[in-house]
Amino acid sequence: MTKRFPQRLSSRSALFLAIICGFLLLVWPARRLRSENFIFYFPDQHKSLPTEMMDNAVYLPLIPLLNLAGQVSGLQEKHNSLKVWFGDHQLEFRENKNKIQVNKASVSLTHPVRRSNGQWMVPTGFIPAVLPRITGQPVLYQHGTTRAFIGNVHPVSYSVELQNQPSGVKLLIHFTGKVSIQTAATNGKWIIFLQGPPVAPLEQEIQFQNPYVSRLDFDDQDGRPKLIITPTSNALNFYPQVSADGKVLSADLMKPPSPQQPVLAQKAPAAAAPPSPGAPPAALPLKPGAAAPIAAAPAPAPSLPVIVLDAGHGGQDSGARSQDGVLEKNLTAQMVQKVEGALKATKAYRVVLTRNGDSDPTFEERTLTANTARPALFLTFHAGEMGDRSPVIAVYTYRASSPPPANDKPLPFIRWDLAQQPEASRSQQLAQDLQQQFAQISGANAPQPMEAPVRQLRSVAAPAVAIEMGTLSPERKAGAIAQPAFQQQLAEAVVHAVQQFSPGGAKP
Amino acid sequence: MTRRNLILALIVIPILVVSGFYLRALVRRMFFENRPRPEDEMRTQLSQQALQSESGAEQQTVTLYFPNFEAGTLVAEARQLTLAANNTDRIRQIVLALIEGSKQGHARGLPASAALRAVFLTSDGTAYLDFPNEVTQNFPVGIESETLAIYSVVESIIANIPGVKRVKFLIQGREVDTLDGHADLTGFYVSSQATTANAPP
Repeated sequence: MTKRFPQRLSSRSALFLAIICGFLLLVWPARRLRSENFIFYFPDQHKSLPTEMMDNAVYLPLIPLLNLAGQVSGLQEKHNSLKVWFGDHQLEFRENKNKIQVNKASVSLTHPVRRSNGQWMVPTGFIPAVLPRITGQPVLYQHGTTRAFIGNVHPVSYSVELQNQPSGVKLLIHFTGKVSIQTAATNGKWIIFLQGPPVAPLEQEIQFQNPYVSRLDFDDQDGRPKLIITPTSNALNFYPQVSADGKVLSADLMKPPSPQQPVLAQKAPAAAAPPSPGAPPAALPLKPGAAAPIAAAPAPAPSLPVIVLDAGHGGQDSGARSQDGVLEKNLTAQMVQKVEGALKATKAYRVVLTRNGDSDPTFEERTLTANTARPALFLTFHAGEMGDRSPVIAVYTYRASSPPPANDKPLPFIRWDLAQQPEASRSQQLAQDLQQQFAQISGANAPQPMEAPVRQLRSVAAPAVAIEMGTLSPERKAGAIAQPAFQQQLAEAVVHAVQQFSPGGAKP
Repeated sequence: MTRRNLILALIVIPILVVSGFYLRALVRRMFFENRPRPEDEMRTQLSQQALQSESGAEQQTVTLYFPNFEAGTLVAEARQLTLAANNTDRIRQIVLALIEGSKQGHARGLPASAALRAVFLTSDGTAYLDFPNEVTQNFPVGIESETLAIYSVVESIIANIPGVKRVKFLIQGREVDTLDGHADLTGFYVSSQATTANAPP
C-alpha cells in the first residue's frame, strides 16, 4: 500500500496534467488560429500574409508586407525605431507612434506601429496611406476588410436577390463583371468557386429569413474567392448556372420531387403558384438518406430589402466640430451604428454600410457601394451649423443646382450624375416619413423636409435622403445630439420611418 | 571709448535698429500675409473698392440675401452701393458686400475672413467666382449652412446683375466636389425662387 500510494498519486497527477495540457492545447492554438490571412491581389497573382489582432485593430508584419509589394533594399533598427529603404524611398518607424516618415514627410496612421515577437507590425491603414506612394501603383482597399488590390486590378462585386419559386427559391447573384464558376458540396453546404477577376464583396455574410436558404458567405482566405451557400436543410436540390454573359449566377434551391409527383410537374411554373402568405406549409418530402424531415416551413418570405447607411466624413475629414470637441465624423458613425443595430433587431432588413471604421471613402465610392447593393433606401447622416435651435434634426432630399438637360433622346442607361432624379418623389415621401417620426421626439426640432444640393445624394439610384443633426458648431457645445440616449431615440425613429416606407421582408 | 569708436557706434547702432525693424516687417509679410483678415480690415478694403469704382457713378439700391437659419431660407436686405461700370466689378462688389455682412443683424453666409480671387463673366451669362482655399476656414460647416451660403451669393448676383443667368463656384481656380463636404459645387447654380420665399430651399 505504501508503495502503491505514490504510484496512484503520480498517475492522478499525470492525468491532471494531461487534462490541463489538453485544455491549453485546445485553447492556445485556437487563439493563434483566430488570426486571418490578408490577401493581396495583383494583376496576375495573389499573395497572403497572416494578420494579428492588437488593440482591436488588424496588424500586418511590416517587412513581409513591403517585400510582397516590392523589394526592401536596406534596414537599420535601433532601440525603438526602424529605418527601411524601399527602392528610392526611405521609411522611418517608431514603436507605439501613429506617425511614420515617408521620404521625410509625416504620414499619420489610424493605429500606432507595434512590435510583436520581435517583428515590426503596421495597422492595415498603412496599406492605403503608404503603399500607393512607394509602389507608384493604385491600391484599392476598403477599411475593415482583409483584402487589397494592388496595380491594375479591377475587382468585381455582387448583389444578391431571392425569388420565390413554387417549390423552392431562386438565388440570383448579380456580378459587376464576368465570372465563371465551379461548384462543390461539403458539410451540408454548397461552395461556388468564382473564377475570373478578384471579388470585393460589399457584405462578407448575408443572412436570409427564408425557409430554404439561411445564409450566404464570401470567403477568399486561401486566395480563391468562393461563395458558401448554407441551406436550411440537406434535403434540397441545388441547380446553379451562369448566364450567357457570365454576370448572373442563378441557383435554384428546390425541394426534390415527391415520388407520386412526376418531375416535369415542377417544371411548369404557370401551374404551380407560390404558396400564399398564411397558407399552411406543405409537408416537404424527405430526400433519400436525409436524417430528418425539413422543419415545417412557413410561407416563403420575400428577400430582405437592403438599407444603405452612410456615415458622413471620416479619416482626415472630420467635418464639423463643436466647442466641446465633438467631431461630425464620430457623431455620424455613432448614429449609423445605432440605426444599424435597431434595423437588424427587426430581422426585416439587411444593412450595408458605406464606411467602415475611421475611413473616408470618396462620394463616388460610397455611391458605388450603395448602387451595387440595389437598396430599398439610402440614408446619409451629417451634423453641422444650424443656428440657435438645438437639438434640430433636418431631412433633405436632393435638389440639383440647375435643371437637368432636356431629354431629347431617351438613353439606354441612367446617367450617373442624374441617377437620383427618377427617385425624387419617393425620396420626398421617405423624407416626410422621417420628419413625422422626428417630430415625435420630445425636445427636438424637426422642420419640414427641405431640398438641398447634397453632393452625396446626387447619384444614388434609390430613394435617398440626408439627415442632418444640429447644431454642431465651434461656438456651441454639442448637447443632446452627442448623448447616447438621444441618439437611440433618433435611431428608433429612423427605424419606424423605414418600416413605414419599406415594410421589409419580415415583421419584427 | 575713443572718439573714433563713438562715431562708429553712432553710425552702426541706428543701422542695426533700422535693419531689425525691416527684418521684422519682412518676416511678417512672408509668414503672416495669408492670415484671415479681420472684419475691420475687410470693411476698409470694401470702402476702397467702392471709391475706386465710383468714377462718377451714382448710388443704387441692391438687394442682398442673407441666411435665416430658423426658417431655412434667405432674407432680403436692401443696400445702397455705388456700383462699378462693368458687370465683372459689380459682381465682385456684391460678393464683398455679402462678406462684409448684414447691416440688419441677419446671419452671415460667407465668413468675414473670406476673399474673392477672381470673377469671370462669359457671354452665355455664366459668372465664375473663384474663391481662395481659405474660404472654407471659419466657415460654418453643414448641409443647411453651405446651401444657404451658396444661394445667398447666387440670388444676390442674379437679382442685381442683369444678364447673369447662372453661377459657377471655383476654389483656388479649380472645380471642387463640395464647398466643405456637403453642398455640391460640381454644377452651375441658377436662381432658386424657393430659397428667397418662406418656403424651404
